Amino acid sequence: MTESTTLNSPAPRMVGSLPGDPTPRQRLARMVRVDHAGEYGAKRIYEGQISVLGKGRHGKTLRHMADQELVHLQYFEKQLNARKVRPTLLQPLWHLTGFLLGAGTALLGERAAMACTVAVEEVIEGHYEEQLKHLGPDEAELADSIRVFQAEEVEHRDIGLANEAEQAPAYPVLSAAIKAGTKAVIWVAERV
Amino acid sequence: MTIDQLRDALLLATLPNVTFDGWSLQALRDGADQAGLDSTAALRAFPGGVADAVAHFSAWTDAETLARLDAQPLDALKVREKIALAVRTHFEVLEPHREAKRRQLSYLAMPQNVGLGLKLLYATVDSLWFAAGDTATDYNHYTKRALLAAVVSSATFYWLDDQSDDHAETWAFVDRRLADVMSVGKATASLGKLGALLSHLPSPVRFARQIRQRSGSAGIDATTLNRTEAV
Repeated sequence: MTESTTLNSPAPRMVGSLPGDPTPRQRLARMVRVDHAGEYGAKRIYEGQISVLGKGRHGKTLRHMADQELVHLQYFEKQLNARKVRPTLLQPLWHLTGFLLGAGTALLGERAAMACTVAVEEVIEGHYEEQLKHLGPDEAELADSIRVFQAEEVEHRDIGLANEAEQAPAYPVLSAAIKAGTKAVIWVAERV
Repeated sequence: MTIDQLRDALLLATLPNVTFDGWSLQALRDGADQAGLDSTAALRAFPGGVADAVAHFSAWTDAETLARLDAQPLDALKVREKIALAVRTHFEVLEPHREAKRRQLSYLAMPQNVGLGLKLLYATVDSLWFAAGDTATDYNHYTKRALLAAVVSSATFYWLDDQSDDHAETWAFVDRRLADVMSVGKATASLGKLGALLSHLPSPVRFARQIRQRSGSAGIDATTLNRTEAV
């Protein structure tokens, strides 16, 4: 009971923060929410790619990566429930756009699909790095999990690079567009 | 005394005054007086004034409901029974403070407080679903809360004017509303069956895959050709 009372009362502000800044609890809630949304989107991207390329030579690799993303997703689902954090409101939108992004790039060809993987995972890697900076020793368990996930996202990026991602048609344009889109989505999912 | 204990003590001492004074600073000052707190207690506990006190009344109710539900064996119950019990416990917690709840609703009905009222209603249904062990992490998280918000808010008005013994009529009202909610679930399930029919219709993805494979076997795209052979 005391715990939920503390949750409902205004949390103590960090030294140096300004009025209107998110409180530490809000910050953590945002982190878990955006990570859950991100892993959900990643799962949908791979599902989209598998729906097009699933029977091709990359099918096994794609399924391996999708399985890893599923583990990440389940971890963050548990975190949401345990921490009483609401999930992102735009989940149906990520459901659709994630799949379209995966299937769309896969339709452009295998290399474009890999370029999409590289672009997304690169942004996610930086995003996790940024989060790790803000996680103190009291959140060691969450930080450790994020570190494991980060290593796996880097592995996915390297798989993409090894599979000729950079030879995709219009690689710089495609990559920049997907990166910008991913960053925008992260910004929105933190808040909504 | 921690700040949370101070808030609870001040709130509980204030609630009887609210019946007469409404949710006002006067009620808070008298409450601090009656609880034996010093004159600055009201300002320290609720720096935002009446709005903070109103919000804390809601938070206190939610926390107390959770604590009472924790003592119950909920695991054996079905989801609907859990929710019914949670709603019932919510009103049992409010029972000694019925007039304060009525005054709280009239405070929250003022245009400048409507936003706060919605926020508090959301917090309440969120905590009731949490007590019922809800683990939805998709949009169902929100549809469940919206449906329960409709049940709880309408039941609150029914409960305020319910003269029956032991609130038997309120519990019957809640049961009927929950039955309505269940029929929403059945309606969406039949919509889902309709959605399953859609998968038999032509799919653009399947279509695109076929085009790719055909153009591949025609030798236009070398990599696709290799892949088709490999398969």
